Amino acid sequence: MRLRLLLTAAVCVLAPRAVGAVELPSASAPVEKVIDQLIDAAIADAGVTPAAQADDATIIRRLTLDLVGRIPTTGEVDAYVKSTDADKRAKLVDRLIAAPGFVRHQAALFEVMLNPEGDRRGSGALRDYLTSALKDGKSWDQMFREMMLPNESDPKLKGAGDFLRGRLNDADKLTSDVSVAFFGVNVSCAQCHNHPHVKDWTQDHFYGMKAFLARTFDNGGFLGERGYGVIKYKPTKGPERTAQMMFLSGTKVEDANAKEPTAAEQKKEKEALDKAKAAKTPPPAPKFSARAKLVEVALQGENAEFFARSIANRMWHRFFGTGLVSPLDQMHAENQPSHPELLAWLARDTAGHKYDLRRLIRGIVMSRAYSRSSQYESENRPGNRTFAVARLKPMTPMQLSTSLRIAATDPASFDNLKPEEFEKRIEQAEGAARGIAALVAQPTDNFQIGVGEALLFSNGDRVMRELLTDNPGTTLGRLKAMKEPKEAVEFLVKTVYGRSATADETRALVAYVEKRKGREAEAYKQVLWALVTGPEFRFSY
Amino acid sequence: MRRSTFCGSAAHALDRRAFLGGAGAAGAALAADMTALNALAAPAVNKDLKKTQKRVILLWLAGGASQLETWDPKPGASTGGPFRSIQTDVPGLRISELMPKMAARMKTTCVIRGLNTKNGDHGSAAMTMMRGRRDEAALRYPDLGAVVAREFGLADSKVPDYVTFYTQTEGRGMAPGAPGFLGARYAPMELTTNNYPEFIKKLDGITDLDHLERGELRSLLGKQFEKGRNSETMNSQNEAYQRVRGIMASEKLFDVTQEPQKVRDRYGPTQFAEQTLIARRLVEAGVPFVRVGRAWWDSHGQNFETHQEMVPELDHVMATLLDDLGERGMLDDVMVMTLAEFGRTPSINASLGRDHFASAWSCTISGAGIKRGSVYGKSDPKGQTVVAEEVDAGSLFATVYSALGLDPNKNYYVGSRPVPLVNPGVEAIKALVS
Repeated sequence: MRLRLLLTAAVCVLAPRAVGAVELPSASAPVEKVIDQLIDAAIADAGVTPAAQADDATIIRRLTLDLVGRIPTTGEVDAYVKSTDADKRAKLVDRLIAAPGFVRHQAALFEVMLNPEGDRRGSGALRDYLTSALKDGKSWDQMFREMMLPNESDPKLKGAGDFLRGRLNDADKLTSDVSVAFFGVNVSCAQCHNHPHVKDWTQDHFYGMKAFLARTFDNGGFLGERGYGVIKYKPTKGPERTAQMMFLSGTKVEDANAKEPTAAEQKKEKEALDKAKAAKTPPPAPKFSARAKLVEVALQGENAEFFARSIANRMWHRFFGTGLVSPLDQMHAENQPSHPELLAWLARDTAGHKYDLRRLIRGIVMSRAYSRSSQYESENRPGNRTFAVARLKPMTPMQLSTSLRIAATDPASFDNLKPEEFEKRIEQAEGAARGIAALVAQPTDNFQIGVGEALLFSNGDRVMRELLTDNPGTTLGRLKAMKEPKEAVEFLVKTVYGRSATADETRALVAYVEKRKGREAEAYKQVLWALVTGPEFRFSY
Repeated sequence: MRRSTFCGSAAHALDRRAFLGGAGAAGAALAADMTALNALAAPAVNKDLKKTQKRVILLWLAGGASQLETWDPKPGASTGGPFRSIQTDVPGLRISELMPKMAARMKTTCVIRGLNTKNGDHGSAAMTMMRGRRDEAALRYPDLGAVVAREFGLADSKVPDYVTFYTQTEGRGMAPGAPGFLGARYAPMELTTNNYPEFIKKLDGITDLDHLERGELRSLLGKQFEKGRNSETMNSQNEAYQRVRGIMASEKLFDVTQEPQKVRDRYGPTQFAEQTLIARRLVEAGVPFVRVGRAWWDSHGQNFETHQEMVPELDHVMATLLDDLGERGMLDDVMVMTLAEFGRTPSINASLGRDHFASAWSCTISGAGIKRGSVYGKSDPKGQTVVAEEVDAGSLFATVYSALGLDPNKNYYVGSRPVPLVNPGVEAIKALVS
């Protein structure tokens, strides 16, 4: 066990300390304005030239993928590009944020954020909870409360408890995962000894957090918590110590009344637990709940900075593909943000607006920093952490699979629908996309696409059957009415990429089709395949 | 205890300073961007390393085979069970009577009897025994297969680098192959439903020429998009598609019927035998790492019946594989290992089973640069503890890497952080590397 602990120890590398405190922009400034002010200032300081703003077709593709998890339909692209409304971007963002797809897509991303290990995402109960919480416009602090202190007698909220329930057999992992998911801090470095390079993290921090959580246990599928129980640990030097409940900020919580129960009390406690188990109800809560205390302390005063900075950083990462602090779980004094003032401002703004996720997201995607082109033709391409050029983001399995469905569907079938009908059609496409999505890997930072995916798309019968079909109502089906290969390939490029074909593309694609004279239908299938397997489809760019 | 050498080592401090000096204001702590790593993976750099291509076949005894019924019998002890031991062709070395074929071939093999790996949980122990260490919170280590694939796979290889047969086993979810920070390029091709890889065969609906040219069309369209754009993930996607045709061409390697009937008869008709024969075909064609999972060793009940049934199969297949490799002149380059997540308790439980046990168990290494005909480590008369030459997961891996001609201290770079093949301070067992 001892050795195991030693081997768990993490080595972390220092980052340079940033400059001292500076005055932040006004609290009443719009989020997007502050983002651009601070990002642009840093770009100017670094003496780099940022990429130009992306064109409209790219912006609507990026926004639609990022907000609702799919590519836009041809109709959506055309309407946006043609519109001369000066306010069109804000209107699009508001429409997408209000769409049901927003809730589904963001819930899926939150689920991955909370359960990065795929095998924890099995039951779907947590995602169902996240979906309904986002739908109801719940704030992030409320969701945090509901996940950490789930009201299990409310069936609608039971899924919220899944985050804890899946981790109850390993208090160390629970401690580490709670700290990572909600506070952006990986204290597991400090499990075996004070962190070697990060002064912030000592063993007291790890065991202090663990003391809040280790009293929680599983009682017949419900969360139980004891009102007593201490965590002891052996520090690297000196005798064994008893951990005091301590939040990451150093705030300590006294539990003066905690004493080991007598045999009679234990017996009584066990009876109560067995009774709850048999009745399939949540067990009685302790008088003093350490877990409730953690939630309280974490959201209190300056302590809440951890919580606020972490969610601001995570939302930034979600839309820019790089965090202001990177990696996301290494938010500490020795790993400074690329833009310290911006993170401080965003965290303050988010906390000051009741952790309203929609406000934060809207501000991020309305910024000019968000809508830069991902193309940088000249040399000396600025680094990702300047946010001077947009970063390519690989699609999630659901983004990719739903987008494939949309690309393979005759774009005319999305035209002239009432908004509810349109949304219904999109939801159907998502439902049908789950099969292929399950075969694709969930991207992480520094993601690499393996040969398995290339083999799946090259030789998978499911891809052939579901996407490369020319049944009525499909993109390929539409081609049957087209006489000229030129018309057909231009239609394909437009449908799949949401933009007009370049002259070179048209030439190459027409030549490809003409080489297969007499079997054009097959040729078009292959053209569609080449388009959807290309990087222009695979990434949000 | 080598506590001080890991997190706070002087070597790390040095590297850290170098990093701080070089990285300047960009300084992303632990930002595992793969740039440095991929630069090293460039074919030109790796050419010299790959002159003698070593390969590995790992026979993974999922669930945990009993050392007492295989490599470290204790006949007559209260913990010994009903089986006797027999003399092998190596003087002084006796193994279980359930392994008469291997008993005649121990001159090819090194037995390590002093494994003390401290972890008796299937899932995490399997991860440790596949990686030689435990993952860090912020760093996922590559497993043995991924490291061997990385070191001995050819950049333009027409075959997969890492294949794992893990069909019909109880432990598949517990020990999936994992490339860790090396990334999906070195992820295993996993065969989980049959002996034939998924999606390796072209569908009937497209001609071979169209399949080829459609791939070229894809790459042509991509080139326009890639102009002025830069992404390691995008590069990995292109590389993945470039490898498709080569891997498809290796399809026949997985077809056991391509092998003469005589050879198939020699290995035998079981799934484990067939997969091991395919593993031999794969390494012969240049696949650096193949794992064949053989499961159902987790004998909490009826341990002796289980082993009476399963050990002879292992004995036969392993002996046949070693003979076959020897006859083909491949044993100097191909290492064969038997390993599991742990062994089994010497004490026999009420169901006549043996439970999980990681304190004194055994594994074997044959071929390549291992000292053949050797035994390392000694357990006490009842098999409860290691009394001499104890080996943990780290030193086992350092030894394996050394026997493959790799320097265990060789560094990979995750961002700017150097990460050696084994943790700092861990050393190979010199006596076992020939």
